[in-house]
Amino acid sequence: MSGNYFVKRVGQAVLTFFATVTLTFVLYQMMPGGPAEALRNVILQQQMGSGNTIDPARIEQLVAQYTNLESDAPIYVQYYQYMSSVFLEQDLGESLYENTAVTTLLADRIPWSMLISVYAMVIGYTGSIVLGAVMAFKEKSRFDSVSSVVVIGLNSTPYYVAGILFIFFFSIRNEFFPTGGRVGLGVEAGFNVAFMQSIAHHAALPILSMSVLGLGAALTMRGNSVRVLGEDYLRVAELRGLRNSRIATQYVGRNAVLPMYTQFMIGIAGVLSSSVIVEQIFSYPGVGMLVYEAIQVRNYPVLMGSLIVFTLVTVVAILIADLTYGFIDPRISAGGDNE
Amino acid sequence: MSNTETIFEVRDLNVTFQMNRGQSRVVRDADIDVARNETLGIIGESGSGKSMLASSFLNAVVEPGVTTGEVTFYPEDGNPVSVLDLSDSELNRFRWEAVAMVFQGAMSSFNPVTKIRTHFRETLQDHNRDIPAGMDRARDLLESVYLDPERILDSYAHELSGGMKQRALIALSLVLEPDVLVLDEPTAALDLLMQRSIVTLLRELQAEYDLTLVFITHDLPLLTKLADRIAVMYAFNIVEIGTTDDLLYNASHPYTRALLDTTPDLNVPVDEMDIIEGSKPDPVDQIPGCSYHPRCPLADDHCRSEEPAMMTVRNTQESACFYYNQAADAVPISAAPSHSPTTDTATDGGDR
Repeated sequence: MSGNYFVKRVGQAVLTFFATVTLTFVLYQMMPGGPAEALRNVILQQQMGSGNTIDPARIEQLVAQYTNLESDAPIYVQYYQYMSSVFLEQDLGESLYENTAVTTLLADRIPWSMLISVYAMVIGYTGSIVLGAVMAFKEKSRFDSVSSVVVIGLNSTPYYVAGILFIFFFSIRNEFFPTGGRVGLGVEAGFNVAFMQSIAHHAALPILSMSVLGLGAALTMRGNSVRVLGEDYLRVAELRGLRNSRIATQYVGRNAVLPMYTQFMIGIAGVLSSSVIVEQIFSYPGVGMLVYEAIQVRNYPVLMGSLIVFTLVTVVAILIADLTYGFIDPRISAGGDNE
Repeated sequence: MSNTETIFEVRDLNVTFQMNRGQSRVVRDADIDVARNETLGIIGESGSGKSMLASSFLNAVVEPGVTTGEVTFYPEDGNPVSVLDLSDSELNRFRWEAVAMVFQGAMSSFNPVTKIRTHFRETLQDHNRDIPAGMDRARDLLESVYLDPERILDSYAHELSGGMKQRALIALSLVLEPDVLVLDEPTAALDLLMQRSIVTLLRELQAEYDLTLVFITHDLPLLTKLADRIAVMYAFNIVEIGTTDDLLYNASHPYTRALLDTTPDLNVPVDEMDIIEGSKPDPVDQIPGCSYHPRCPLADDHCRSEEPAMMTVRNTQESACFYYNQAADAVPISAAPSHSPTTDTATDGGDR
């Protein structure tokens, strides 16, 4: 039964991924001045600047090389060409401006984005769980009401506002942290303390701005905990004379955190896309910044490539959430039955 | 009750809650003794304070309730324990080791994300018991409540039926060998057959493990099959207490008599069923005098001005009524209570 569910769920994920890539491809192609058109214009402009002439066949060849597409072939042929190079050769094409493969660009940038987003999520969620639990235990106290207001306020603030305020206070007014970049100039790259410190120093503000506003989950945790505190099994646990530490972790903690697990996994999916704005503010050269720059110059291969990677991360995160939920909540283990 | 040993002694017990509109007293100056190895039934309508009385045996009245008075537990050997004065850690040891409680939320009494085995194990662990020996005992207990131990221990609560959960909870309540088991409406959510089998089971367990049972319910016919003595609660206090036979054949408080008269009988159509006229009193604005006087046919000025103390009706029976010897004439019981052999036969006959 569970093996069947596994196959079914993975199948769904693959289908979702495939469908998303297809849809994106079609949408990009249908945009006025689609990828091939844009590239052709770039080449023509360069050519006029240099004063040389170039024959149309050569342009077609270049277009095909950069985008993996024969721009004058029918759309289904182009689609077939693109999909086969993406899925069979893991080739996402080449950037229009840098003569670098899109896969290389992404591989360079993704670890940096992962660094700030994963830390931001872990810090944000840990803070939320602790804060939410304390709020629930002190329900209706002054601490509870003040924190609720603060958290709702933070939750409704777009994180770029926090980012700008952080830069203003911690980088410009007081020069605690750099305003941008990911490592200091002249720091030797490699596995050494100075390099690590520099990375942490540069990543601190982006992480902080994302995690502070991620505290919204504290309200969810608070609500879950208050609900669990009113459950019969909690009263029975107290009547059974169990240790308070066990009741707090095994009973309240576990049952309150459970519903947040899916939320957390879906949050991972949002991590890369939310990095677009954060990285722009902190001039942090991660994948978000790559996307932002690509949008500005219509660098379609890069856009398509990063979109495919974002989709992949999303689909995989949700797949993992689905497949592992049964392990952490036994009530879900029969998952596939009632679909 | 003079020649039996007392295991629980409750004196001047009050349970109060502070509310916006004033203080709510949900148990008022209650006195009760529980004898070792007896089955004491506590009966009363919803909101009469019976669950609160039961919770105070473990000093487990929910926050922000305040319990005052004296609750003394007499262990078989050792010094008396004043339950309300225990520190938190002493209370944690007292609960489940001396007194266990199975309460009405049995359907959701188990942590949904851990197996039944974990519930037994963590209970043993937190009370510093030997785990292998304790788990053996758990298996014996599960067998004596007619469950398959290995299957149950490896299950999660959601995989069991209501009756199985209730029986597993009873087994769990006995794993530390408590002297007293308090059952707060343990059969409330079960069907009639399951109710009966739980009652039979409790009788067997009581004999096997030398238990004292305190059984709280609003189901009088069920109680008459199980209890040695019955305490009747009305408006946050005990109004009558006596042996089951005392109350069934010689009830001497008008409320007890009215309660017996209203016991549903399958042979009587619903719209002809008797009810007690009037409504129950408010826990905040309590009336002077006897709390039952607005609904009592015997009430006079004396009842309206002074609250009756418990009067001794006979050796085994007490009643909080000035006119306990007139109650039988004033409140006649029309139908025989359904416990009696004749009614039982008639009911069963109707089913056939």
